[in-house]
Amino acid sequence: MKRKLSLIWRLTGLYTLVSGFVLLGLSAVIIYSIKQHFVEQDKEILQGKVQLVSSIASDVIAANTLDEFSDKLKAGLIGHKDLLVLVMHEQGVPLYSFGSGEFPVNFIREKSSSISPHTIAWNAEGQSYRGLVVTQNVKAQPKRPIIILVALNINHHNIFMSRFQGTLLLYVVIAALISGFLGWLAAKRGLLPLYQMKSRALAVTANQLDKRMSVENVPVEISELASALNQMLERLEDAFRRLSEFSSDIAHELRTPVSNLMTQTHVALSLPRDVRTYQSILASNAEEYERLSRTISDMLFLAKADHGLTLPSNEIIELNKEVADLFEFYDALAEDHEIHLRSMGKGQIKGDRLMIRRVINNLLSNAIRYTPAHGTIEVQIESGSESVLLIVKNAGVPIPESDIPHLFERFYRVDKNRVKGDSEGSGLGLAITRAIVVAHNGDISVTSTMEGTIFRILFPKTD
Amino acid sequence: MKILVVEDEDKTGKFLQQGLNEAGFNTDLACNGVDGLHLALTQVDAYDLIILDVMLPGLDGWKVLETLRLSGRDMPVLFLTARDQVEDRVKGFDLGADDYLVKPFAFSELLARIRSLLKRTRVTSEATVLSVADLELDLLRRRVSRAGLRIDLTAKEFSLLELLMRRKGEVLSRSLIASQVWDMNFDSDTNVIEVAIRRLRSKVDDPFSPKLIHTLRGMGYVLEVSDKI
Repeated sequence: MKRKLSLIWRLTGLYTLVSGFVLLGLSAVIIYSIKQHFVEQDKEILQGKVQLVSSIASDVIAANTLDEFSDKLKAGLIGHKDLLVLVMHEQGVPLYSFGSGEFPVNFIREKSSSISPHTIAWNAEGQSYRGLVVTQNVKAQPKRPIIILVALNINHHNIFMSRFQGTLLLYVVIAALISGFLGWLAAKRGLLPLYQMKSRALAVTANQLDKRMSVENVPVEISELASALNQMLERLEDAFRRLSEFSSDIAHELRTPVSNLMTQTHVALSLPRDVRTYQSILASNAEEYERLSRTISDMLFLAKADHGLTLPSNEIIELNKEVADLFEFYDALAEDHEIHLRSMGKGQIKGDRLMIRRVINNLLSNAIRYTPAHGTIEVQIESGSESVLLIVKNAGVPIPESDIPHLFERFYRVDKNRVKGDSEGSGLGLAITRAIVVAHNGDISVTSTMEGTIFRILFPKTD
Repeated sequence: MKILVVEDEDKTGKFLQQGLNEAGFNTDLACNGVDGLHLALTQVDAYDLIILDVMLPGLDGWKVLETLRLSGRDMPVLFLTARDQVEDRVKGFDLGADDYLVKPFAFSELLARIRSLLKRTRVTSEATVLSVADLELDLLRRRVSRAGLRIDLTAKEFSLLELLMRRKGEVLSRSLIASQVWDMNFDSDTNVIEVAIRRLRSKVDDPFSPKLIHTLRGMGYVLEVSDKI
């Protein structure tokens, strides 16, 4: 598998490339301006010489004395050994030439123009030349203008330029490498917080989920990343804590009934007994198993709810109808306990019917358990503009203030003396109730006074 | 009626076999998927029903069912599983399972499901009058009488009695009764069913003899003519 290039090497590469390009661009500008400078310099020299040659020419050619002309020129051009001068007729007949080297006569004729001096450049025999060409009329022979060329050997320029370019390129390469190295240092230093983060992350294990990334004293980008990671850790820690709580809850809650069953069975087996006794023990065990099984499925339900309960269905539910059905279910039991059931109001919400039924059922069975004889259980449904309120109110001994905040925690049981009747809840009913209400975007609260205990569930209104 | 139980848990398998044998079925037991599949495919007189555990060593329940259906065996298959995931149920039904029971379950519930799969219980469903001993229940006129005497029942008491009579001789668990009569499909930790049965009994059984509604402690209720208990 191809290994991914590390961030540091990427940054170093980028630094080197960028500085290389910038330096190359700069070098190109420098080279160009030096060349321009040479051209300007040469031009200035050449212009002076052209003027000299041209003034001598216009004086001398009129007199038709060539010897005098060349003498005069020689005198004027003395000491300029890298200077070339050519004077010729328009047709290409040379009148005078000075300096070594061949002249590209035809090229010069082509380039000559009547008015302004024209710059030309050519190579011959390994040498480079730059010159000025001008066409001039001579007073004595107005029909036959002459062409004057003054040129310089610019080989030394070229040699200088190529050397200069070589040196510059070398410097560019060295500078790029140096800036790459500096970039490497900078990247390494800049990414230091990331490495620290890595070592911190390595320290996070299931047992040490409380470790957090440092958010202060790190660059903004990293601190954002760190706080995002911290949030993730927090969620994980929360989920993990709930998971381990759940496991220990299970162990704790199952231990007692299993221990009961074990003792009972062991005692029963220790002596031979008659069939009836065995039957009664087995039946009692079966009841215990049923309770265990119920606790397990309740716990599974809550475990699923911890990961966010998804509603199996989302239908319109007539709360009053559900209450009526449940009243029918509890009718006989309530009558038995001489408890009065009363419901009023109506309203509809959206959700899973079975779950909502379970919510109301849990509250009702709770209420029945804690309501004394001749008491009343009242269910009120109030349909407001934005929400539907379901109230389950029962008379009875108030729940102690200190228990209220824990009421919806799983396995939390208020004083066992309050338990009435022969069946005791698993201690999960209200936790399940809240989980379902939350899954319906609702809210549940409880108040308890001498007048009775009131559970309020607020569901959002359906559209 | 021949039933094949494929269950790798030794105790569960043995108890299932014993329970089913005692309920009048001829039961074979296989301890893993491969043996189970082999038995199911090679027995000369085919099984009438197969009880299949999902988690099996070697060949899991899904594979066994798939192979069975591919080889053209269409006997009803009831899945037993400890996993209660909706996807599992869907998968089971997709593969051609006929029913699905989550462990732990009441044995009476399993028997009821088996009987319903074997279409034994629907014998009396066509009848408009159900009767056990001298107890009669008229479904059309919604009347109940015992020994010729009219008995007044509430609507729910009537439904409860109807359920007990339709499935006479079968032990009905509390949760089954709650779900069939009141449509309460969750376990309630209250003794609503006990109270309801007691009330029904006070009208149907108390003034008469023999007693028809019996409580099987730890199991549920059964309606039958019986001297035991």
